[in-house]
Amino acid sequence: MKPFDFIQPTTIDAAILALAEHNPNVRILNGGTDYLVELKHAAQSPGVVVDVSRLQDLRGIEIIDAGLRIGAGTTHTEIMADPLVKEYVPAMIDAAHTVGAVQTRNLGTLGGNLVTCVPSMDSGPTLLALDAKVIILGSKGTRQSSLTDFFIGPRRTSLEPDELLLEIIIPKENLGKPASFIKFGLRKGQALALVNAASALWVEGNKFKDVRIALGAVAPVVMRATKAEALLEGRVISEDLVQEAAKIAVGEAKPIDDFRASKEYRNDLIEVGTRRTLQAALTASNIKN
Amino acid sequence: MTDIALIVNGENKTVSVPPETTLLKMLRENLNYTGSKLGCDVGDCGACTVLVDGLAVNACLILAAQAEGKEVLTIEGLSTLEKYHPIQKAFEDVAALQCGFCGPGMIMATKALIDQDQDLTKQEIKDALSGNLCRCTGYTKIIEGVVDAYQEITGKKIPATKPRVA
Amino acid sequence: MVDEVKVAEKTEKLESLRKIDDNLRLPSVPERIAFPKEIGVSAARMQTPAVGQRATRPDGRMHGLGQTKYIDDMFFPGMIHAKIKRAGIAHAKIKSIDVSEAEKMPGVMATLIGSEIPVNSFGPSLQDQPLLADDVVRHAGDGVAAVAAVTEQQALDALDKIKIEYEELPNVFDPVEAMKENAYKIHNNESNVYATKTIMKGDVEKGFADSNFIFERTFTTQMVEHVPMEPHASIGQWDANGRVTLHSSLGRITLGRADIARTLELPINRVRVIATIVGGNFGGKNEITTEPIIALLSKKTGRPVKCVFTREDEFISSTTRHPFVMEYKTGMSKEGKIMARKVRLICDGGAYCSWSETTLGKACILSAGPYNIENLHVDAYAVYTTKTMTGAMRGFGAPQVCFAYESHMDDMAAELGIEPLEIRLQNAFNEGSASPTGQVLEAVVVRDSLEMATERFGWKEWQR
Repeated sequence: MKPFDFIQPTTIDAAILALAEHNPNVRILNGGTDYLVELKHAAQSPGVVVDVSRLQDLRGIEIIDAGLRIGAGTTHTEIMADPLVKEYVPAMIDAAHTVGAVQTRNLGTLGGNLVTCVPSMDSGPTLLALDAKVIILGSKGTRQSSLTDFFIGPRRTSLEPDELLLEIIIPKENLGKPASFIKFGLRKGQALALVNAASALWVEGNKFKDVRIALGAVAPVVMRATKAEALLEGRVISEDLVQEAAKIAVGEAKPIDDFRASKEYRNDLIEVGTRRTLQAALTASNIKN
Repeated sequence: MTDIALIVNGENKTVSVPPETTLLKMLRENLNYTGSKLGCDVGDCGACTVLVDGLAVNACLILAAQAEGKEVLTIEGLSTLEKYHPIQKAFEDVAALQCGFCGPGMIMATKALIDQDQDLTKQEIKDALSGNLCRCTGYTKIIEGVVDAYQEITGKKIPATKPRVA
Repeated sequence: MVDEVKVAEKTEKLESLRKIDDNLRLPSVPERIAFPKEIGVSAARMQTPAVGQRATRPDGRMHGLGQTKYIDDMFFPGMIHAKIKRAGIAHAKIKSIDVSEAEKMPGVMATLIGSEIPVNSFGPSLQDQPLLADDVVRHAGDGVAAVAAVTEQQALDALDKIKIEYEELPNVFDPVEAMKENAYKIHNNESNVYATKTIMKGDVEKGFADSNFIFERTFTTQMVEHVPMEPHASIGQWDANGRVTLHSSLGRITLGRADIARTLELPINRVRVIATIVGGNFGGKNEITTEPIIALLSKKTGRPVKCVFTREDEFISSTTRHPFVMEYKTGMSKEGKIMARKVRLICDGGAYCSWSETTLGKACILSAGPYNIENLHVDAYAVYTTKTMTGAMRGFGAPQVCFAYESHMDDMAAELGIEPLEIRLQNAFNEGSASPTGQVLEAVVVRDSLEMATERFGWKEWQR
């Protein structure tokens, strides 16, 4: 690694000050499972690295007025073991479980996974399907953003160099919403997603309501299959309809051809993934009712 | 240079290293705990697995400075002069290690798993070791070793899968 | 054993003395790791009858304790680190290499380029591979220069300052294209084919004429990297008396020693190669890689020099498994007996020969499979391409052809409507069968093992 200056602030305010002071030659380090790899191969020193892994305020999961708050520094392992997540957003546990291997989940954080913003991120689809918001703190104050606005492109988010992702909030109305996540990789553990998908929906009477379908690794950023959602919205639940929505989702995605999987194979996976997550969400909602 | 005070294998250590030093490099080069291996340097192979505050982590993906004040356990800290650790014994008895390069990481990941004190199935063992690669054994013997060690340590039983050879 | 001792006119029990001793000890410091006393020979090793018993490895305990010293675990006083600059271009003429900027970088103690190496070529059968390319780069992983610096990072930083001017040459990536007359000759030879083997038995054309069915198919396999858990590593020390000591992860040290002595133009008794436990070989550590380079860097600096491959180096510059193009043509009687077979193997050797000749020979001999074939003709070619060189890997060409002839067998069985097991049993070697090269085989159990295996993994039930 190229030499850099290292700051370990003890409070969030100190971290923000440090970010503002060294802006723009400053980068934030937390779990480091992705960023340290990047640093090892970087041609240039990042200048200053601010380590926020010691900030306890960045961690933790709790219910607040707006919904379920998950600190950006909460590790995937912590999410998997958390009773609140288990009760209100169990699909997040499935998503967290597919992140890397045990060693990666022990270090890697939810915030880090979002900020890295790789198309194949495993936390993205579930959070997108649950309309999660992110709270960002910068030297100019806090701001809130939807995930769709937050993700800009591969490895690019709307986060400014002097801003820190504070927390992820799953809105109150979506707590307990039946949801499901699925990931297809080349092996069962420690694999990059070829395609991942998440669906969330309410069942009202025998009709779909507020359907959300999110797909990962099939476009420059994690995306929502809005046409497939629109097809289902308000219609009577049927197996054929789910099939049809899955086919529509394929048309919305723009998967790439690479050495991990061909475009055709990815398209098949999108269809299967969309169908299975919708079915699983429906099953989850049956169990609930 | 940053000064780092931490506990390695129960001993208090203070080390002064440049901030870009990973925990792995510090353990191997400054403290001479060469048991943790550098295999891929990007967190794929798990040969550098150590326990930090009881959690298995890739020592190549954590800066030494991030481990400040924490308790680190490496492969060298498992056995003492008096007691051979059951995991290491099980791995030896079933010949789970061939070239041995993945061994320290495998054993530390196993320790972290068994320390959680949960009822395990073979599938969960495989899942917990998915971050540790091995090229010699094909994993069969390693899983066998973990099962033996788990049964020895916890006294619980993992149902044996049906042997393939009649 | 004495359990009472006299201490200053008093008789004390040893036990109480130990307690006093313990109390004096500083708290919280556990015993340093050593080799556990309580365990003797592990129970499994006590059993004498070898067959049917579990065996343990003699080095198993040291592996488990993390006490095995691999090359990267060794440190010598004053040791510095070497890194190799990779070409990053598949095929090019080197017009100039400028290391002057790199030499000025902090911490850099020496650099080395190909022209400084006494004999810049090596290889187990053909000495066609340079240690550091000095005139032509033949694959992207070719080393072009080496730097020794105090830390690994300083060496890496210096690599970026090395200036090399290339003149691109045409790339040849496809072995079939490379065989053609008009293909660019990678080694300035008459042809890119550098090894051929032929096996002829019986009369193939007559065999085909007698056959009821002819099957033809081309199979291809891909390049495979060994990915040993331990990357290639070596430490070189050139002492004041002109002797070289190399600690290396080399698997074949005597062969390596000869190669090192040859490239350094030293009498072989001046070269000492010390091997330790190899962290995974699989054939990939069967030949030298950087050993002479670090020996020379050590000579230049007077320090021990260590070079450990990064995972990237491992993939792009170490040997890999040969990709094969395998053209099979088989004549069958309508009962399912193989009448004749013609095989054409094209082995993509990559940029340098390495173990290709050996691989080709073995692939050739085994390409007919364990089947009685009276009329056989095998042609095999090893071809240069501008890709990472291919060398030894588990099986030396046997897995590739096995994939081909067994897939071919399945195709034919399906086409003829014969059960896959049946067609194999019909053609498999018998006691006293001759192999394609005329070797008469004894103790042939291929039928027994086929039947036993299919029974045990439930082939017949699965068929239903």
